[in-house]
Amino acid sequence: MLEKTGVATEQDLAKAIPTKERLAKGPVAIIECFQRIPCNPCYTSCKRGAIKEFEDINDTPEINFEICNGCGVCVSNCPGLAIVVVDESYSNEEALVKIPYEFLPLPVEGSFVTGLDREGKPVCRAKVMKVLNTKAMDRTPLITLAVPKELSMTVRFMKHHDIYSDNTFICRCEELTLGELRELIRKGYNTIDEIRRISRAGMGPCQGRTCRQLIMQELAAATGKKMSEMPISTFRPPVKPIKLGTIAGGERGE
Amino acid sequence: MNNTASVVIIGGGISGCSIAYNLALKGVKDVIVIEKEYLTSGSTGRCGAGVRMQWGTELNCRLAKYSIEFYEKANEVLQYDGDIEFKQGGYLIVASTEKEDTQFKKNIALQNSLGIPSVYLSPKEAKEIIPHMDETKIISATFCPKDGHLNPFLATQAYADAAVRLGVKFMKYTTVTGIKVENGKVTGVQTNKGFISTPVVVNAAGGQSKLIGGMVDVDIPVYAERHQILVTEPVNPIQNPMFMSFSLNIYCQQTPHGSFIMGRGDANEPRDLRVTSSWHFLEEMAQSCCELLPLLKDLRVVRQWAGLYCMSPDRQPIYGKADQVEGFYMATGYSGHGFMFGPVTGVVMAETILGEKPSLPIDKLGLDRFEKDELLFEPSVV
Repeated sequence: MLEKTGVATEQDLAKAIPTKERLAKGPVAIIECFQRIPCNPCYTSCKRGAIKEFEDINDTPEINFEICNGCGVCVSNCPGLAIVVVDESYSNEEALVKIPYEFLPLPVEGSFVTGLDREGKPVCRAKVMKVLNTKAMDRTPLITLAVPKELSMTVRFMKHHDIYSDNTFICRCEELTLGELRELIRKGYNTIDEIRRISRAGMGPCQGRTCRQLIMQELAAATGKKMSEMPISTFRPPVKPIKLGTIAGGERGE
Repeated sequence: MNNTASVVIIGGGISGCSIAYNLALKGVKDVIVIEKEYLTSGSTGRCGAGVRMQWGTELNCRLAKYSIEFYEKANEVLQYDGDIEFKQGGYLIVASTEKEDTQFKKNIALQNSLGIPSVYLSPKEAKEIIPHMDETKIISATFCPKDGHLNPFLATQAYADAAVRLGVKFMKYTTVTGIKVENGKVTGVQTNKGFISTPVVVNAAGGQSKLIGGMVDVDIPVYAERHQILVTEPVNPIQNPMFMSFSLNIYCQQTPHGSFIMGRGDANEPRDLRVTSSWHFLEEMAQSCCELLPLLKDLRVVRQWAGLYCMSPDRQPIYGKADQVEGFYMATGYSGHGFMFGPVTGVVMAETILGEKPSLPIDKLGLDRFEKDELLFEPSVV
């Protein structure tokens, strides 16, 4: 089923995972590479000789877990992002999982992210222990995550926590939240002018400097239209708030 | 789209939505409202949204009183799931000339005779109601506590939501390009999204209503005049009533939301359907405001905009049918008070279309009054 779903099966994994005893000893590379393709950088990058020389470049890699010390060089060298390093000796409760991560923004060390399984489903909260991004890694940074020990063979990727929630303010002047905005769109207010008029979003002192873009993005996502094809709201004078007394001529700047 | 309707209403402002709701309430099926952009995108959404019973002609007093009494209970009657934000803080209308003072005394007598609780005030009494006003600029004032302000977007939406529940169809972002007339009768409306056959068309197109009249060769003697408004940042409540003066050319109120909305008229404003803004307005408005309500000088203006008054020769609405074209009805020419007349417009227009006797005597507000030269001039308009 790997060919159809992209997700390794238990039979596949049985061949790739080291023994419990080896795992307990410390960091070790786990190569989840199950398809014959012409590719060998894992072998060429391993300075310890833990990965066996390929007889045929189409072979899948074979690793000697006793030689491997989990240095992680092969992880950033694998073009298929098929290798992780797992360290079950980290603590009684947690294991470290070192993954290749080629998205921006990179997570921040010490922050929390969502651990994902091989299908991309969220499975736990994971702490970012280390972010390694050297020149030699050629833009394949390594992220070390601390995950619950029982999930060391489950967590294989991460995503940032959702930055937005229903309570996130979209319009700070008039205090329209994302939840309220989505509800208005659901009710059929599907242009920014309608949303402005019904909710006052964008009508406050900043005149939509922040929320205009955010509302447009949300409308684009909800309607499937491109932002460039959607009507924009009117920009009205005086653009920047000015005191009535100043306009009336009672006050002058330098 | 529906290609037949019993009534097509052109215009998705307060008038169009109120007419649609009242027709559906009376059991009319297949009512369609056509709106060029979105609901309230025309004059309704651009208006100052103040409502007052203090008028100078009996008919206007009665039309306004009927509407305000409806707005008082609109949330419940229309079963609106929001709030139209109706606040009855009153209108304080000040006189600065002897002529105006004389007119106000007449107005109060008329208003009181119709059950409108307005009172005549000295400058000192007026200052008790709006303490930050410069009372030395005025001779007298009138005050009616039942007058007030509401949110025009939400009020229109309340009508539209209720109309939809009764089966009315709304076509937003649809432009009427022509009206078909055969043998002197309306037979349909051409839009950019197709043709709708209908025996009845209601012109509730506000500033664009003259154009719509032209589509059936009915000359409606109205013109669109630009009026401008500004709004300030919101602050804590400091001014309960609307402050208004015809001679000093200002209206200024604080909305329940906290912002101040103010506007003025200008005879030199363009009459070409333009809704752009001018610096000229901003300057004159700020000067009037700082002079009469000096406390407000530190408030920041966040936005100005413009809308169209649909001016009629006697500054009164035009209600009813066109004699030349069967099935063509008008609700237009409000001269700046269409929003406050919204509730009564819906009722009397629905009655007229169904051939019933209107709840209020609007027969004097027909298009034929201009030919007969029976104008009902309203003295109290900004």
